[in-house]
Amino acid sequence: MVDERRTDEAIEAEAPIMVQVQNISKDFGSVHALDHVSFQIRQGEILGLLGPNGAGKTTAMRILTGYFPPSRGDVWLKGERLFANPNVVKRMIGYLPEEVSLYSDMKVREYLGFVAEIKKVSRRRRKPHIDDYLTRCGLWDVKNRLINQLSKGFRQRVGLAQALIGDPEVLVLDEPTSGLDPKQIIEIRSLIRELGKERTVVLSTHILPEVNMVCDRVLIINEGRVVASGTTDELEAGLKDRHEIFVTIGDRKMKDKAVELLASISGVERVRLVEEKVDQVSFALSATHGADPRSSVSRIFVEHQIPILEIRAGRLSLEEIFMKIVVSEKDSQNYL
Amino acid sequence: MRRALVIARKEATSFFRSWSGTLIFAFFFLIAGIFFSLLLLSYAKLSFEASKTAYQGLEGIGLTRFVFGSFFLNFSMVLIFLVPILSMRTFSEERKTRTLELLFTYPLSDFDIVWGKFLGLVWIMEALLLPTLVYLGLIHWMGLTFDWGPVLMGYLGFWLLANAYLSLGLFVSSLTDSQVTSAMISFACLMVFWMFEWVAGVADGTVGQVFVALSPLSRYRNFTLGILDLSDIVYFCFFHFFFLFLTMRSVETRNWKG
Repeated sequence: MVDERRTDEAIEAEAPIMVQVQNISKDFGSVHALDHVSFQIRQGEILGLLGPNGAGKTTAMRILTGYFPPSRGDVWLKGERLFANPNVVKRMIGYLPEEVSLYSDMKVREYLGFVAEIKKVSRRRRKPHIDDYLTRCGLWDVKNRLINQLSKGFRQRVGLAQALIGDPEVLVLDEPTSGLDPKQIIEIRSLIRELGKERTVVLSTHILPEVNMVCDRVLIINEGRVVASGTTDELEAGLKDRHEIFVTIGDRKMKDKAVELLASISGVERVRLVEEKVDQVSFALSATHGADPRSSVSRIFVEHQIPILEIRAGRLSLEEIFMKIVVSEKDSQNYL
Repeated sequence: MRRALVIARKEATSFFRSWSGTLIFAFFFLIAGIFFSLLLLSYAKLSFEASKTAYQGLEGIGLTRFVFGSFFLNFSMVLIFLVPILSMRTFSEERKTRTLELLFTYPLSDFDIVWGKFLGLVWIMEALLLPTLVYLGLIHWMGLTFDWGPVLMGYLGFWLLANAYLSLGLFVSSLTDSQVTSAMISFACLMVFWMFEWVAGVADGTVGQVFVALSPLSRYRNFTLGILDLSDIVYFCFFHFFFLFLTMRSVETRNWKG
């Protein structure tokens, strides 16, 4: 799955900045939903907004889409201030809200026609434009059906299609896969990846693997503040102390010897027994930062004729990164 | 402004496409028919008795005044029930189904949305009113003559009154995401406005005058009598703009209420 992410970071670093969020805060009475949040998104990037429920993801997205202005700070789209001229700048944004809700008494095509008219798609272009998105979102066969007769997956597609009408350069998707079945989730994800090739996409999610699968970069928001941002690799690298290597051998009798040998390898700080079965034993090694003892492990084990079944560098899953960041965030707040 | 028209068209179409819309349309037509029939019958009865007793007084009242004047005056009562049902859909329903959120992110101003929704309601009301012309045609076909002037004035007055009530209903609808609550509050408000005239009847002096001046019904009464007073038109315009203004403010509260 990792392979599917685009790795042409060099190009991305040079791509123009599409969305610039500058120090925005949003207060609802005494509640600070967002607190000095800043980030930028380059053209053609898919940014994942990650955070526990109530972290401020939806608030951030609503500001980004011009639903309401921030209490402080500003949002710039392609160098134009969003709230200086919302009716013009909002045409650059397509929004898919959480729990997509559409006018269920309208037919798919009729609804998209309504949206196209509001988004000022010229009369002449309207029909081919709508046809194009009906096809691309896989809605052609249901174009004359009432929206309330469609399945959730199809309604999500209609939601995507309405966001795409008017060819906005920025797509904002709030939990685009929530409530869908696994097959629909896969379809919607691949559609988003496809769309993200030409557009800038911001999507929020609480499904962590989704970020790995779809997004180029992650922004973790907790309690209204950005607590981490970067690619998943970068986030992982930031948490150096967790570098672990897993080794599995195929002979239980060699267990003690293996522990002894592993501990003697330079760069290995600690050896921990992970799992012991009849025919295999697994260990986890904590390596000092920068050291990669994998080649030493295989060499020494071969020398001592210990059968190796597996050696792999343990990657931190996004769940672990997320938990670590969000939890340590809480701790530091509690103790300060 | 063109965006507002798009919204208005959508509002009106979805009303007439719904079952409740068709039902309301049919009921409105039916009740208007019953009103006309009863008024015509009682006029016929009255004029028949007048001819028997050679009573001359009825000529001063005339068909226009008797049938149409009473029709418009009494039929305005229907608005108190009808308007809350029409207006409760505008914002409350969209809030409940969360379609409003999307609407606010489209390249539309709040003005477009509020005006579009109001205009949609006005169109629905006009569409409800239009078939009543059939009754006019019928009365004409029956060979009864009436003055067009006061009749048109009655329609104008009814239209203005209905729009005023609708603007109030629109505002109430923007306050809540429950359609039932919206309808109840609108109904209560319209009842209170309706009772302004009574207060004027009880209270003397300045208080009474103020209530008469503020009563939409006593303004409307002038129209049913065929009296066109500029101050009445100004009053209704002010009524519309006041509640549309409040609706705009109410829609803006999303900025700090979320």
